[in-house]
Formats: sequence, C-alpha cells, structure tokens
Amino acid sequence: MVATLLIALPFLGAFLIPLVALANKKASHYIPALVMLSNLGISLALLPQVMRAPIVISLSGWTAPIAINFVVGPLGLGLAILISLVGFLVSVYGVGYIHEEPKEKYHMLVLTLLTGATGMVLTGDIFNLFVFFEILSLSSYALTGYNRDRGGTEAAIKYLIQGSIGSAFILIGIALLYGTTGTLNMADIAAHVAGVDPTLLFMAMSLLIVGFGVEAAIFPLNAWLPDAHSSAPSSVSAILSGIAIETGAYAVARIVYTVFDGHGIMLVLAILGVVTLLLGEMSAFRQKDDIKRLLAYSSIGQMGLIMLAFGIASDAGVFAALFQLVSHTLAKALLFLASGYIIYRVGSKKLSALAGLGRKMPFTGAMISVAVLSLIGVPPFAGFMSKFSIVRAALAQHSASYTGLIVLVLLATVIEVGYFMKLLQIMFFTQAEGEESVKELPLSALIPITILAALIIIIGVYPHMISGLLQQAASGLVERSAYIQTVLGAQ
Amino acid sequence: MTIGNPMMYVGAVGLIMIGLFTVLSKRNLIKIIVGLTLLDTGVNVLLIAIGYIHNRTAPIVTRTYTDPTKMVDPIPQALVLTAIVIGLGVTALALALAIRVYGHYKTLDTRKIRGLKW
Repeated sequence: MVATLLIALPFLGAFLIPLVALANKKASHYIPALVMLSNLGISLALLPQVMRAPIVISLSGWTAPIAINFVVGPLGLGLAILISLVGFLVSVYGVGYIHEEPKEKYHMLVLTLLTGATGMVLTGDIFNLFVFFEILSLSSYALTGYNRDRGGTEAAIKYLIQGSIGSAFILIGIALLYGTTGTLNMADIAAHVAGVDPTLLFMAMSLLIVGFGVEAAIFPLNAWLPDAHSSAPSSVSAILSGIAIETGAYAVARIVYTVFDGHGIMLVLAILGVVTLLLGEMSAFRQKDDIKRLLAYSSIGQMGLIMLAFGIASDAGVFAALFQLVSHTLAKALLFLASGYIIYRVGSKKLSALAGLGRKMPFTGAMISVAVLSLIGVPPFAGFMSKFSIVRAALAQHSASYTGLIVLVLLATVIEVGYFMKLLQIMFFTQAEGEESVKELPLSALIPITILAALIIIIGVYPHMISGLLQQAASGLVERSAYIQTVLGAQ
Repeated sequence: MTIGNPMMYVGAVGLIMIGLFTVLSKRNLIKIIVGLTLLDTGVNVLLIAIGYIHNRTAPIVTRTYTDPTKMVDPIPQALVLTAIVIGLGVTALALALAIRVYGHYKTLDTRKIRGLKW
C-alpha cells in the first residue's frame, strides 16, 4: 500500500500549501520540494520489490476488474522515479525563480500537475487515466498563463482549447470501449478486445490516440506546444517539456500496446513520429529570435523520435523509446532551467543576446554544452546511447520501411546538429557587444542543473545503471498477456 | 453493446458535431468556449446513452427498492458526474483566461489575437 503514497502525498501537499501559507508564507514554498523528495525516496525503495514482481493495488476492498486499481510495474515506477526526480529539481529551482505573486498558487499547481503525471503512469484503469490526465492538463493550462503577460495568456488559451478537444475525444473513446467491452479496467479491456467488432475498436483506438496525441505533440496536433513552452515561466517549461509530453507519449504507448494490441498501426505511428521529428527540427533550425521557442521545437522533434521508437514494435524498440524519453527529459529540463535565469539576467530571449555568454558564465555554459551534446547524440552522454539503440532497434527489424525511416532520422539529426552548434557557437565563440559582466546563476538554480548534467554523463558512461529497469519496463509494455495476468490472475 | 433508442445516439453525436463545428469555425473566443461546453455535453449524453437500458429506473437503492435488475447501468452515470466536474473546471479556467486575453488585446476576435507566431 506504500505505493499509493506516491499519489496521495503530492495531492495532500498541494492542498496543504494554502493552509501553511496562512501561517508562514515562506515555509509553504518548500513543500513541493519536500514532497517530491519523499516521493523519490519511496519510489526508489519500492524498486527492488517491483523488479521481482509488479505490485497491484485495488482500492476500497473490491477485486481487480471492478475496483479502480494501481499497477506499479517496472514501467510505471521507472517513470514515477523520473517524474519525482525532475519534479524535485524543478521545485528547488522554483523557490528562487518565481517572483510573480501569489507564489503559493504556483507551487500548488506544480504539485497537482506532478500528481496528475504520477497518477497517469501508475493507474490501471482507463477512466482513472483520463481523470489524472485532466488534472495534469488543467494545471498545465493554468501554469502556462501564470505570469499573466500577453504571450503567456494567449498561449494558455490556445493550449486549453486544443487540449479540451483532445480530452473530449479521449472521453468518446472511453465511452465506446465501455459500451463494447463493459469494463474500464485496462487489463480487463485488453482481455476482451479480441472478440469485439474491429471497426468499433479501430474508432476507439483512433479517438484515444488523437486525444493523448495532443498532449504528446504528435505531428498535426502540436500547434500549441511552441507557444506554450516558450511563453510559460521557464520552470514550468521544464516540467511541460520534461514530464507532461512524456506522460502523453506513455499514454499513447499504453493504449496501443497493452489495451489494443494494435500491431497494424505501428508503422503509422512510426511514420507520424518521423514527420513530427523532421518538422520539429526544421522549425527549430529557422528560429533566430527566441531561445525558448528553439528548445520547444526541439522538444517536438525529440517526441517524434520517441514515437518512432515506440512504432518499431519490438522489445528493443520500446527499450530505445524509453531510453530516449529519459535522456530527453534530463537534457531538456536542464536547458529550460538554465535558459530561464539566462533570459532573466540578459534581459532578452534573442539568440544574439547570448553572445559570449559561455565565457561570462563558464560553469553554466559547460552544463548547457553537456545537455546540447547529449541531445545531439555525442558519445559520452546519455543521448548517444538512446539514439544508438533506436537506430539498432530499427535496423534489427530488417524491413525496408524502417530502414528508410532511420535514414530520415539521421538527416534530422544533421539539422539538429546545425542549430545546436549555432547555439554553442554564439555562446562561446562570438564576441560580446558590451563588456558588462553577467553573474553566474544562483545556487538554487545551479544545484538542479548540476545534478541533471551529472546524471546525463553518468547514464551515458554507465548505461547499465538504468538499462536493466528499462529492459524490464519495455517487456512489461510489449508482453500484454503477462500484464493481464498480473492484474486479473491474482483473484 | 445493447443499442437502446437510436435517437439518443443521434442527439449525442449531433451535439458533439455542433460543438466541434463551433470551435473550429467561430472567431469569437466566448463562442469557442460555448462550443467546448457543447462538445462536453454531447460526450456526456453519449455516455449516459450507452448505460441506458430500456424501461429501467435510476440506479438508486432505497429501503423498498433494491432489485438491481430493474435499474440502468450506474457506472456511466458516475463517469458523467466526474466528467461534468472536470468540464466545469475547464470552462471556468477558459473564461478566466478569456477575460485576461481581453484585458491584453481589447478584443475577443481570434484573428486579431496574434501576439505569438508559428
């Protein structure tokens, strides 16, 4: 039952914040960091047990297909660890970074967002998945517009309109599924889908993929992302880019693999992924004004890469997708966190304003280089291992279509090298216009950034540290009969 | 899937389509938000229609009324209650944001709200 704390604690913390703020305003700002740290501890402590066998928790005394249940498998717990780690680091950063009052609201919304994300990866009930998804989306709409400036408000309403249409689609999909199978438990649905009319099943699957695809930023559904990620406060961008869209991708993968066993749609998913990747990278390449917009487009590209890897539909492919998810989360969270204070110090979002910054703040410059090189896929960093495993998994399929897609991926990587090298060149090799010195980042920002950079290097050098967990998570996603058995067979 | 009265499905899908059309074609932010609520309502009606069984009553157990075979499926109704609450939250947030957008741009016309570019 300890695993329920992973969801209960952040929720409790979120509603404690306004109460604590009544007594002591400053103390309430530390609650998110505290809660996420304990979440990290709990999830790491559960890890050995979950690696042996997944934990299934049924709520309120009912048994599996009727009760709402949480399935804490290697995949769910691995993502929960990632969420609490990034959530913790961003909360530490947020204590110093957020200046706009009322700060309690910000911290509360961050915690509800993280609750939604954790709930999404742990739940085993499809309606519950929708509810947690809505908790996540509502918090992220509100956080996007948190600064109340022109851009943030506009981005938030765009995000809200597109997100709500997606949510409505998800709900229609769930209604169809419930109408045809008579159950909401994902394992129970998975056990029943084989006997259902394929047309209805296809409709339900498409509706669910479209709905979650809005959050996962799959190609035609990602118009909200560059606006929202670039206009939100930087700590929020880090969460949106490092956690929110990844949970969207998780939901798509869970729906396609576990619930529907949709092998026919995998190639479509892979092609959509490559289109997303190419469009994201090309849009990032032509960005000159706004560093955060560049990073947002790069996020779209990376999500495309994850989708492509999920579309390879083998153990190795899913493993590569999860590895890419981890390395993208670490690197992009770092970049958004670093760019937040840089924009604040320099006073401009323009790329040209970063000239010579690498020499003025050498430590931050080095950390940014680590993240950028990892995203490109340069060897000693985590990004190399993930991209390498994607290429290997795709080639192992021995199919012309996947080999062709990988050629396009390599082309996109060249584009990626183009704009990221331009960024590094501006930062390190361009002479600054003014000679005024820029201070290094404050400690509350440096610590999270350093931890993220250290993790990128450690995972890059010792990929075995996480590959065992990811391997098991991947087979947990691909082998659906085992999942059905762990949830339903225990009766 | 026991198909009840087809008119309920027609109504539900009709509401969903009207909502989608409103969101996609209208230029006024408030009208778009109205479209979103129509879309939500349509989905809720669809859920209720799926759980409805002809000639049965509301699934409320009282002291004299305990036979579950005479009631409709209660789960979709529970889902709809949750969905209504979520819809309320989304609508409230959307209207709050619309007020703030109006404060910045002095208009609700989405053609003129173009501070951000693709």
